[in-house]
Amino acid sequence: MRTGSATLALIVLGLPFASFLLLALVRPLRRSAGAAAGVSITAIAGALVAAILDFRTAVPREPTQSPSTTWAWLPGDGGPMATVGVMVDDLSLTMLLLVTLVSLLVQVYSWAYLHDEPRPSLGRYYAYHSLFAFSMLGLVLAPNFLQMFIFWELVGLCSYLLIGYWYDRPSAARAAVKAFWITKLGDLGFVAGIVMLWSATGTFDFWTLFSMGTMGTLPVELLPCIMFLIYLGAVGKSAQFPLHIWLPDAMEGPTPVSALIHAATMVTAGVFLVNRAFPLFRLTPDVLVLVAWVGAFTALLAASMACVDDDIKRVLAYSTVSQLGLMMAAAGAAAPEAGFMHLVVHGVFKALLFLGAGVVIHVFHTNDVFRMGGLRPWPWTWLPFVVATLALAGVWPLPGFYTKEAILAGVLHAHLTLPFLMLALTSLLTSFYMFRVVFLAFFARPHGHAHTPHVPWLMDYVCRLLAALTLAIGFRMAFFGEHHEGPGWLPAFSLTLAGAGFVLAWAMYHRRVVDPARVAAALWPIDALARRRYFLDAIFAGLYRWVLLTFARLIGWTDRYLVDGVLNVLSAWTLRAGDRVRGLQTGLPQDYVYGVALGVLLLFVLAQWSLR
Amino acid sequence: MTGEMLGFAAVAVVLLAASLGVVLTPNLFHAVLYLAAALVATGVVFLLLDAPFLFGVQLLLYAGGVVTIVVFAIMLTERLVGQSIQQTSRYLINGAVLSAAVFVGVVGFLVQMPAIGPRQAWPGELTALLGRALMGPFVMPFELLAVLLVIALLGALYFARSDT
Amino acid sequence: MPLGAYLTLAALVFAIGLFGVLTRRNAVGILLGIELMLNAVNINLVAFARFRTDLAGLIFTLFTISITVAEVAVGLAIVIVLFRVRRTVEADHLDLPRG
Repeated sequence: MRTGSATLALIVLGLPFASFLLLALVRPLRRSAGAAAGVSITAIAGALVAAILDFRTAVPREPTQSPSTTWAWLPGDGGPMATVGVMVDDLSLTMLLLVTLVSLLVQVYSWAYLHDEPRPSLGRYYAYHSLFAFSMLGLVLAPNFLQMFIFWELVGLCSYLLIGYWYDRPSAARAAVKAFWITKLGDLGFVAGIVMLWSATGTFDFWTLFSMGTMGTLPVELLPCIMFLIYLGAVGKSAQFPLHIWLPDAMEGPTPVSALIHAATMVTAGVFLVNRAFPLFRLTPDVLVLVAWVGAFTALLAASMACVDDDIKRVLAYSTVSQLGLMMAAAGAAAPEAGFMHLVVHGVFKALLFLGAGVVIHVFHTNDVFRMGGLRPWPWTWLPFVVATLALAGVWPLPGFYTKEAILAGVLHAHLTLPFLMLALTSLLTSFYMFRVVFLAFFARPHGHAHTPHVPWLMDYVCRLLAALTLAIGFRMAFFGEHHEGPGWLPAFSLTLAGAGFVLAWAMYHRRVVDPARVAAALWPIDALARRRYFLDAIFAGLYRWVLLTFARLIGWTDRYLVDGVLNVLSAWTLRAGDRVRGLQTGLPQDYVYGVALGVLLLFVLAQWSLR
Repeated sequence: MTGEMLGFAAVAVVLLAASLGVVLTPNLFHAVLYLAAALVATGVVFLLLDAPFLFGVQLLLYAGGVVTIVVFAIMLTERLVGQSIQQTSRYLINGAVLSAAVFVGVVGFLVQMPAIGPRQAWPGELTALLGRALMGPFVMPFELLAVLLVIALLGALYFARSDT
Repeated sequence: MPLGAYLTLAALVFAIGLFGVLTRRNAVGILLGIELMLNAVNINLVAFARFRTDLAGLIFTLFTISITVAEVAVGLAIVIVLFRVRRTVEADHLDLPRG
């Protein structure tokens, strides 16, 4: 257990924020893309340096010592109702490193990838990147639920802005809105859970809540409900079933954006939440079981959809959903450290996969794998991607092998047999669909004559850097890391699954000995459903439309008949009463004498009354 | 039954009958005649109330002047219209109900009145007293009355002039 | 006779006069009703003056009679003028103040 310097953490947080402010307020700076990129990249590089420093200078702490530094914010009776600050422990230190590193690499890569963009748009892009870095770092450093929720929403906003970067494309705009709505659904549960927790305990602060949990003073009656609601936020953000439908569409954004936020950072916020709040989740084992089941199911579902897609980015998106399911399953199996380790290494090699895909997209100007191929003579195009694929498939000695084995061991240890089987099948499919992409995109027979692909050196070097990092992490884990005890047959089993997937893909898409169409026909129900995304998108769209239209009709009816109706009735009655009363003014003096006589009678009655 | 009571009863009957005749008879000229009878009966009531001067004034001004004026007016308007002086009434029941209600209201106050004792004698000759009062404390209203009559005369003259 | 008898008689005549005012169609007929009402008022005044031995009641009655005469004269003059213009004495047709 360690704690780091709060000052350094604030520097890490402050640099991207300063960059964003500068770019947002100073218009000429933003409109000149080069200067904007320079500011943003410098800021994030500085943040990375500070993060590394913080990580290396972290000191051990006692279990009873709080790693948070907070300042009072919202006033309340008996102490502030909400605080702001930073919580610098092992979890957040690691995330700081991951977020700043991947952000830096992606921002540098973007400079080459989006080189043809109009200058002001590119400046806007870098402003968004700075904002996103700030939001994600704030989320990771949050010492209480409220601050985390605020940054959670900010991250969602940045996702919307970045997915819809090319806002004049209708598909991109729609995808951005869809992402926002679906994650918002999950956020409803999140905020409800937070508020219920606060009303039960009176605090948002993590450290206080964890202490209450260990001392047993946490009110436990509603805790499962609360933790389930908080988990819903993670379901939305980390694309668990059934709120996973936004992630494939989010690929409308630029590829570097997908690499950053839909692989390494934003989508991992949900997993991070579960890890951060794990001392509370530990007290509700039923919710954890649900988490594990949903995670395993999501992993399998997404993997099945990845096997039939032709768009390289969409395959990677489904792969991300699948891996997120894997991480959640680990948390659900009470092995959050394994899931978190997978989160970190997955962030690195998934970003590499996306950036490598960016390279091949740049070469062929299309996302369709069936229109690519013939890159075997130029290893520097496919080697980083293949390294990352091996890591994802879980081949020794690359990082994915150890983390996946740890997760499977954890799930097995928690006696969750069916989830384990689902995850095992997922491993097989993961290897299969990744190698399918590799064979089709890089090694397939070329369509025209082959000529040297032109790839900007910046993109190429970033990919090589990430590949080297992946290999380094893998070797470190293989030769210097501690190995957890798991069933002896597990490593061999997972390697077999990976190997089987490779062989299948090789047979179907490289050697062409097995016809993919025949396999598809044999598995036709699953194949048909997977191609149509299991109709989930259609169900959501239909439901949304139905609810919205019904509500709109109700409101319209109320407005026309109740609100307008009341006014119309009142005015009609007034007019009619006026017409009737006018009838009294006949103009005949005798009728007025009647009135006078009646008045006199009334006076008589009043006088008699007062005399009584 | 004293003589005074008999006299009062008789006069009351005449007065009421004549009043009903005024309001109920369809012929307007007959109504005017009934009015004359009612006015005379009222004068007799004044007599019963030991106010002979007022009896005289009533006969002269009301029974004499007002009735004459009304007769002239009927003759003039009836000739202009050129039809007989028949007329029907409107909303008899409503009017009857309202009048009865007003009567009941007034009587309601009457019954709550404390009884006032027997009549005292006038301190002197009534007519002389009246004369002295008109020239004494009530001389201002008296003079103003004269002005009013002049104004009424002028007004009537103005209305009576021809349109040329 | 007690005072109440005279007052009751006056009230009756007043009510009858009011009935005439409300129900007569002819304008002159309405004026006759008004005359009856004024008459009743006079009886009231004289009765109160006699029973309280107060001269003021009688003076008031004299003035009332005089003013009534003036009022009748002017009123009938108006009725005659109205005729020259409207060619009718029907009260139902004299509805100029109609709203």
